Amino acid sequence: MSLLQLDKATIKFGGLIAVNEVTFQLNKGDLFGLIGPNGAGKTTCFNLITGVYRPTSGEILLNGSSICGNPPNQIARLGIARTFQNIRLFKALSVLENVVVGGFLRHKTGLGSALAFLPPAIEETKRLRADAMDLLRIVSLDHVADIRSADLSYGMQRRLEIARAMATQPQLLLLDEPAAGMNPQEKEELNGMVKKIRDEQGMTVLLIEHDMRFVMSLCERIVVLDHGEEIAQGPPSEIRNDPKVIAAYLGEAV
Amino acid sequence: MELSTLPQQLINGILLGSIYALIALGYTMVYGVLKLINFAHGEVFMMGAYAALFASWALGYTPNNALTGSNPVNLIVMLLASMTFCGLLGVFIERFAYRPLRTQPRIASLITAIGISLFLQYGGQLFLPSSPAPNIDGKVNPFIGNLEVTLAKGAGTSAAAAADIQSKAAVAQKSYDDWKLSHKGADEFNLPADGQALLNVKHDTDRAVRDLKDRGDSGSLKLSVPRGQFIMLVTTVILMGMLTYLVMFTKQGRAMRAVSHDFDAAALMGVNVNGIVTFTFLVGSALAGAGAMMSATFLSGTKIDTFFGMLPGVKAFVAAVLGGIGNIPGAVLGGLLMGVAETLVVWLGYDNYRDAIAFVVLIIVLLVRPGGLLGSSKVEKV
Amino acid sequence: MTFWQTRLGSIALALVFCFSLDQFALHQNSFIQRLVVLAGLYVTLAVSLNLINGITGQFSIGHAAFYQVGAYTTGSLAGAFFNKAHLPGPAWLILMMFAGAIGASLAGLLVGLPSLRLKGDYLAIVTLGFGEIIRIVVQNQKALGGAYGLTIAPRFQAIWLVWLLAILCISVSRNLLKTAHGLPFLAVREDEVASSAMGVNVTSVKVTAFLIGSAFAGAAGALLAHFEGFISPAMFTMDVSFIIVTMVVLGGTGSITGAALSAVLLFYLPEKMRDLSDLHLSTIVAVGICLVIAVASIKRLMDHFHGEPRKRAGFMAGVVMGAVVLVPILGALLNNFDPLKTSVEGSKLRLVVFAVTLIVLMLLRPQGVFAHHEFSWAWVRKLFRGTVKAPEGVA
Repeated sequence: MSLLQLDKATIKFGGLIAVNEVTFQLNKGDLFGLIGPNGAGKTTCFNLITGVYRPTSGEILLNGSSICGNPPNQIARLGIARTFQNIRLFKALSVLENVVVGGFLRHKTGLGSALAFLPPAIEETKRLRADAMDLLRIVSLDHVADIRSADLSYGMQRRLEIARAMATQPQLLLLDEPAAGMNPQEKEELNGMVKKIRDEQGMTVLLIEHDMRFVMSLCERIVVLDHGEEIAQGPPSEIRNDPKVIAAYLGEAV
Repeated sequence: MELSTLPQQLINGILLGSIYALIALGYTMVYGVLKLINFAHGEVFMMGAYAALFASWALGYTPNNALTGSNPVNLIVMLLASMTFCGLLGVFIERFAYRPLRTQPRIASLITAIGISLFLQYGGQLFLPSSPAPNIDGKVNPFIGNLEVTLAKGAGTSAAAAADIQSKAAVAQKSYDDWKLSHKGADEFNLPADGQALLNVKHDTDRAVRDLKDRGDSGSLKLSVPRGQFIMLVTTVILMGMLTYLVMFTKQGRAMRAVSHDFDAAALMGVNVNGIVTFTFLVGSALAGAGAMMSATFLSGTKIDTFFGMLPGVKAFVAAVLGGIGNIPGAVLGGLLMGVAETLVVWLGYDNYRDAIAFVVLIIVLLVRPGGLLGSSKVEKV
Repeated sequence: MTFWQTRLGSIALALVFCFSLDQFALHQNSFIQRLVVLAGLYVTLAVSLNLINGITGQFSIGHAAFYQVGAYTTGSLAGAFFNKAHLPGPAWLILMMFAGAIGASLAGLLVGLPSLRLKGDYLAIVTLGFGEIIRIVVQNQKALGGAYGLTIAPRFQAIWLVWLLAILCISVSRNLLKTAHGLPFLAVREDEVASSAMGVNVTSVKVTAFLIGSAFAGAAGALLAHFEGFISPAMFTMDVSFIIVTMVVLGGTGSITGAALSAVLLFYLPEKMRDLSDLHLSTIVAVGICLVIAVASIKRLMDHFHGEPRKRAGFMAGVVMGAVVLVPILGALLNNFDPLKTSVEGSKLRLVVFAVTLIVLMLLRPQGVFAHHEFSWAWVRKLFRGTVKAPEGVA
């Protein structure tokens, strides 16, 4: 059974069909790419999966059961975590604290214990901070753990978003343009990092990216969207030579 | 609560609502360009009332030396004084309290606005006459008396029938009185059958007389509006017409709409955004000034103190939200609805809750349709 | 030292502090007692509002409503049950604190629910409106004494309990921030969309904040009712809400230390001003003019000394000194003008001071005196060293 399945997922905003009958499925352990020109509906797809929008029609299944209609926090609980295209960190919080927020779903002690500052809550806080520190090591941000996250450089903020998403211990990680604004060296590092996350943490990754070289070298399978429609699907080698994809990116040959 | 007084109440509500609409326009215009709730707007309104008061004193209508007789020119002088003063005050507040904070989170401006509003309320007490609260001398207003409109009503009562009802009532009253004289010490709430029957007849005839009075003696419905308040309504309509022209058909108005659509893009397109913001505050505050002058002059017995603007300010804000904040026709509609809602609450007999209704309406609107009646709610982009 | 040793030690310390304050106040006159009690209540109010406004990032400006609900809940309960309950004073008072807290938190739930949909200034207006509705409703209830107020039969002067409540409120807020459980609250303040993507239930976080915040305000209301022995709707007007908001903002939204300290300061200062019986209007105007000049020059010139804390401090001191010299001279000059010769009661200036504080503060330091900092020894040390080391690679 596939981990995530989009079955003719469609959403309309007024008269505009932002995503039209998109269908694809991810298996556990996939490194999956979602590409397309600007305005193709990629981020809208993410918003459908994570419950920000509810599809007008169609189904989205996680492990075979529908997740449509769940609010975003419920979907995070079901095991889907995401990053944002326009970075949305908790700016006033430190780098470490950002990641600890991601551990919210694993709180075992109640709020009462925290308000009374009882040992279980203290222990849990220690444990979550230690876990968060481990994640920061994976994205190599451990040396800036106590800095305000707003003060980080752009590339670091993107990596921090990934660490924060991973802190929810998801089955599926959605990365929205993780390489945007990075220099080639940073992209190279990111490439290795995402592969490591998949291989070592066993997470399935679905990512949106504009940089073709990055996607082609990282992803094992790719879906291409254009104007909300799915125009191609397959391994990078096929996509690269697909005439429809070339047309979508470069325009029709005259 | 008499059903037949409802049309009169609706008219009163519209008169009250027109003032709310004038104030609400200021809230909505400022919100449109800056996305800021100008909490101090109600206090600008209050200062406008004082400006009108001082203008009337300057014209000679001091409490000790009330001029007799007046002419409309005096009213126009007062109106202009109030509008000018408020306009400048609004511009001043924007320049020195809001503009320095434009790059800060919006909460900072909101807090400054609360600060300004408290400052004008309590600081004003140091300088302005407020206790005992003065009022604008009634003799300023040359438009005394009421405008009366008589509406024909289908099921009218002829003069003969009316006389018949009156006489029947007199007879019933008399026979009940006679019975009471002969039965001294009867418990009014526990009468013997004969007495009760007479009392019932008397109640019926009394009710018929009351109905007769409500319908008017010739079976018609009478509506009356004080002449001054009629002038107020006319002035409001003229001002709103001017505003519509300004916003829709002038260069300034187009720039204003552009700024309210997208502040940064308008700046990039060469619109002088600071100038437009200043202009918006000028116009919005001047409208509040007009409202203040008129409500202080034409609504009888209005006392002016430094809290004069608080409730109208809050109600007008609710009106702006009700209509859809940032939306100019919405503010007018909201203002009228608020005025009517308030008079209806009084009409239903809940006088004590007339100030609470605004908040109730506000909470309901925000919960049911946060964008307001004519506004649209925006979805945050993720 | 084990955990429980520390815990018992700090509880003992808090109790000792409260009872010695109690003993100290008992030997003073009733005015001072009232000051001590109200200061404690305002600390509770400010710190509990800070939980809603500062930590969770909601903008509630109707905190007096919860205070009022607490006071009236216990006021009516005391009228109905005190004589039947046969409880000793302190036990009854603690019971009433809980009753007030429950009553107010129900009200908090009621306000918290609209906050699910509303943000920022809209929420502010709703909370303000809610406060006014409660006040108007109470004003029109004959059973609650209407506008004339309600007399509460047993009066207790439990100063220790007031401060114990304040300390409890401070420690609850601090504990929340010290544990991982506080982070979702901060996260909601920073970004609701991102927090819900992290699995945080934004709705329940906001409602929880309202519940806890209003419960403390309600408990404070209960203590107020029993301390004063009389409550009326006039004690819970919008102004009280604004004063509490000013306290939170002055301290620095989000800073517990700031809220507590500015509550004491902003409460004490205006009370002191009641003593200033007559002030010349000319002096007030002179202060105003100097203030405007000072604010304008600080605003203009502060950036010139950016990153040079010593020069900055020197400049500030210069401005303050200049103002101190200028005020009496200017005041004497202005006194020659006829309309400015009149004198004003100092008590009339109380809310003017709040207003001016708010405006000046927002213009000069919108983040509040303490900004988001908390009192800690490390922070004090850092303040004196004046520099913060930035690790490599930080933009």
